[in-house]
Amino acid sequence: MVSLYDIQVFTPRTLEEALELLDKMGGRTKIIAGGTDLIIQMRHGLAPRRDLINIYGLRELRYIREEHGMVRIGALTTFSEIAASEPIQKHVPFLAEAANTIGSIQIMNKATIGGNLVNASPAADSLPPLYVLDASVKIVGRKGERTVSIERFYKGYKKMDIAPDEILAEISFKIPDTDGRGLFFKHGLRLGDAISVVNGAVWMRRREGVIEDVKISLGAVAPTVVRARRSEEILKGAKPDDENLRQAARAVIHDISPIDDVRGSAGYRAEMAVNYVYMALKRLVMGR
Amino acid sequence: MVNKVKVNLKLNGERFSAEIDPRMLLCDFIRDVAGLTGTHIGCMTGNCGACTVLMNGRTVKSCTILAAQANGSDITTIEGLSKGLELNPIQRAFHKRYAVQCGYCTPGMIITAHYLLSLGKTLSRQEIREHISGNLCRCTGYQNIIDAIEELLRDKGLLR
Repeated sequence: MVSLYDIQVFTPRTLEEALELLDKMGGRTKIIAGGTDLIIQMRHGLAPRRDLINIYGLRELRYIREEHGMVRIGALTTFSEIAASEPIQKHVPFLAEAANTIGSIQIMNKATIGGNLVNASPAADSLPPLYVLDASVKIVGRKGERTVSIERFYKGYKKMDIAPDEILAEISFKIPDTDGRGLFFKHGLRLGDAISVVNGAVWMRRREGVIEDVKISLGAVAPTVVRARRSEEILKGAKPDDENLRQAARAVIHDISPIDDVRGSAGYRAEMAVNYVYMALKRLVMGR
Repeated sequence: MVNKVKVNLKLNGERFSAEIDPRMLLCDFIRDVAGLTGTHIGCMTGNCGACTVLMNGRTVKSCTILAAQANGSDITTIEGLSKGLELNPIQRAFHKRYAVQCGYCTPGMIITAHYLLSLGKTLSRQEIREHISGNLCRCTGYQNIIDAIEELLRDKGLLR
């Protein structure tokens, strides 16, 4: 266990102040939000010990707004708030479900969606729904702000398109068509506080007996969350019969590259990814 | 050298402030600075839930929070739930149902039970299990803990 004895903590009162602090010492500091991952990683020597800029109290980054057919979530919104949010439950219930499985209630009460995104674990439970929603993240810095699609934001294992003097401020996505349906799944090794062995999300819209549009994402089976594009291609325009669903589920192996770790072997992960995608597709088709 | 930071918060309804090291965790602040040792420290990894306290009315694990992050907030620990030696209804239910074995997880369990009851939701036994999944009992004495919480919910007409 590493002591944090020489660490300094700076607590800006506004986003502007936070950006000024980052501008001055961005490379030498780390931003702390809910801290449920970072504090433990620092104490275990898994994250470099750096001075901290504590943005947890910045209310201006804590909101869920619905406007012009978009949902906007402030980076410091907690998973308890997301899981209980009316617009989220109404438009994207599978994101509410993912928020509910992030961890125990104590973790959900403190952990923020922005923190989950920049912690950049490939097993992060909030990410698969955001991938099928083609969500974007808003990055702010002193020089201005920019918006990046979630897929482009992650460039590799824990590598993100964000500079040391920038803050991830918002996550947004277009409200999906009401005639489609989404689903989140998670395979963990225990019920409470489990880290996913495989997780994912599927969104599907059917019309006149065929699958008109489908999006599939998988987590914990590659250096970043991935879209199972080969499977999506197989299903688009296809009949939702069992053979097509099975073929599409098996095709996820073209888009994943799982590894062995303490929670499971690469082979186990690949098999679980195939099975879970099949079950998710089947559930959507059966309307359950 | 390391600067001190001032932390002002409400602790069990009373104002409390202290100058501390910025890196101090909330659980250490509660125990070593405020001297309230009812909050236990188990794993220090955010897993066991022994250090659960209420922060602005919501349960959090105080080992995953810097005390500096709790500045300006309202913290309730196990000591804040009872009036001196007079136990509150949750503590009485735990007592009655023998929901305590070694007792180490008990303060965290009771804070979690208090939060669960404060939500006013109707819950089943399975949902109670899910609600307390962030609190580990190394004695595995879960049945009596769940019995106690069930009884409290039943008294309020909130047991499914």
